[in-house]
Amino acid sequence: MNLKAESNQKTKNNTMKNIIIIGNSAAGVAAAESIRTQDSKSKIVMVSDEPYFAYCRCLISNYLSGSIEEKKLTYRDEKFYSDNRIELLLDKKVERVDVKKKKIVLAEKQELLYDSLIIATGAHASMPKDLKGTNKRGAFGFRTIKDTNDILELLPMSHTSCVLGGGLIGLKAAYGLKKRGQDVKVVVRSGRILSQVADDKAAGLLLSRFQENGIEVLLNTGVSEIIGNGDVKAIKLENGKVIGTSIVVVGKGVTSNTKLVRDSDVKIDWGISVDEYMRTNIDNIYAAGDVAQGYDLTTNSSQVNALWPVAVEQGKIAGANVCGASLKSKGSFGMNSVEFFGLPLISMGVFEGDYETLVYYNKEKQVYRKLVIDKGRIIGTLLLGDIANSGLYFHLIKEKADISKIQDDLLDTNLSYARISDFVRQDEKIYI
Amino acid sequence: MKKLYYDVSKCLACKTCEIVCAVGKSASKELFSSITEDTKPLTCVKVKDAQGKNFPIACRHCKAHPCVDACIAHALSYDAKTGRVLHDKDKCTGCWMCVMVCPYGAIRDNKKLKVPVRCDFCADTDEPRCINACPVGAIMFLEEDELESREQSKNKK
Ligand SMILES: Cc1cc2nc3c(=O)[nH]c(=O)nc-3n(C[C@H](O)[C@H](O)[C@H](O)COP(=O)(O)OP(=O)(O)OC[C@H]3O[C@@H](n4cnc5c(N)ncnc54)[C@H](O)[C@@H]3O)c2cc1C
Repeated sequence: MNLKAESNQKTKNNTMKNIIIIGNSAAGVAAAESIRTQDSKSKIVMVSDEPYFAYCRCLISNYLSGSIEEKKLTYRDEKFYSDNRIELLLDKKVERVDVKKKKIVLAEKQELLYDSLIIATGAHASMPKDLKGTNKRGAFGFRTIKDTNDILELLPMSHTSCVLGGGLIGLKAAYGLKKRGQDVKVVVRSGRILSQVADDKAAGLLLSRFQENGIEVLLNTGVSEIIGNGDVKAIKLENGKVIGTSIVVVGKGVTSNTKLVRDSDVKIDWGISVDEYMRTNIDNIYAAGDVAQGYDLTTNSSQVNALWPVAVEQGKIAGANVCGASLKSKGSFGMNSVEFFGLPLISMGVFEGDYETLVYYNKEKQVYRKLVIDKGRIIGTLLLGDIANSGLYFHLIKEKADISKIQDDLLDTNLSYARISDFVRQDEKIYI
Repeated sequence: MKKLYYDVSKCLACKTCEIVCAVGKSASKELFSSITEDTKPLTCVKVKDAQGKNFPIACRHCKAHPCVDACIAHALSYDAKTGRVLHDKDKCTGCWMCVMVCPYGAIRDNKKLKVPVRCDFCADTDEPRCINACPVGAIMFLEEDELESREQSKNKK
């Protein structure tokens, strides 16, 4: 995406606008930066219901584990807001958007008018409706610095922690709690961990790492209730068993923060529906990041891909388009890179299903590499233990490249940009 | 903004560039002592063959720099003035998001040090070490328009 080149020709922003960005994280910051690359005049107001400068949300588990300090989480500091002349409203919740009057309404009825609005409110930790007791002291979602500080505060009084859910966020929390000396139990309803990012085999290999490192994982186990009188004392399993614990982290996925437009005409599905320009169905309102639901190019469907790089890309696009550009997203897809106990995993797009696959597996070296191919193009990959060349696969997926001519070379460790360059868009010359 | 370009008709895959690069990234910056260092230095440039020719590749410091957007720790940033992608070791958590999205496959994971292996044009010296080390002159450090004139003169020959 060549932001500047594309937008310079198309931008006609002699007029000064009032731009409001709700959300001060990956998507909101990217949007603001993108606006300022082409519009130095318009007023930008950013609103966040958290009290901090933008921070690295993905690293709260590193903060939990003790490998980074809270102040090192900062993603953009004070200077960023002053340099870019952003008016920052922290610790202010936007209650609703009045689409007709083009204004946002904050708590205590404070109102702000906008010409263009970017909704980048992200998501929050989902709390299953059928799980009782999630409001007790000691039960947490794991999403914010505040969540982390609350957990850290309880740690000295706690011996055992339970994590409900075997997804990435739950496991990152489990890892952090273990590093803090907690006895950690992960309780998973389904038959495997990481079902959103790994197939049976990859999940199995990672599961062994957790067990070898002293984290107990209970599969096929539902939790019916968090028990306690105000403070968490235990969790009750569906099979009747009770596990004593004082910290419960609920890692049951995330839900887009759409409440502020629920009673408006803005179209919502799981998230706020956006087109490839990050426009909602309402003029002058854009959405980006974990709150936005758009085209997924690997599943060919509409999805919320709640991921940091996706939020940044969508924020950039929304910001540019607010300034009159017409930047388009090619679509997003699931992609993640994690490492647990020395075993790295990169997962992109579709990794299961009735498709052609190319697989390399070396049990001794704990290396598992799998490419999923549909109609001559890669729609997904899993790389466990050896993540070399993952960027090349990323490129091929994103470009929807026809790989039939190089299929035999794809899992070769010798694969290189030179080998794939004829099949993807070449942004620049490298070789003569 | 100067970048590295490669003359594929000259490259013999002798891998001298890889060696000087790794040594340049070592603590001692000496070939023999660098080999015995605790964490072996890794090369940022890699030469790979494809269809009978040899292609060196290293970070392009590309305009799109998806690695910067993907970095969840704000360790990578783009300096628009110099056109370089910068990396802050202190902020890096070794999450490999940058490895995942590099369209050139030019960022690798240093498993031991938990930092990406990535060409910084030898930020500690004036010029990338590989250019002068290449025995056949296949590596060029040029402005984009200089590249075009090089190419034209090459085609005339
Ligand atoms: C522990 C953890 C680990 C993660 N690891 C990874 C990873 O490895 N890789 C990856 O790609 N992603 C990861 N993620 C996901 C990633 O953090 C999100 O995709 C990303 O933060 C989304 O950015 P965003 O800007 O859309 O929203 P968010 O980061 O959720 O920010 C939303 C912003 O909106 C504000 N806001 C919300 N509602 C309101 C309101 N009503 N009024 C005012 N302000 C409001 C919030 O205060 C906040 O500033 C992880 C997340 C967590 C929690």
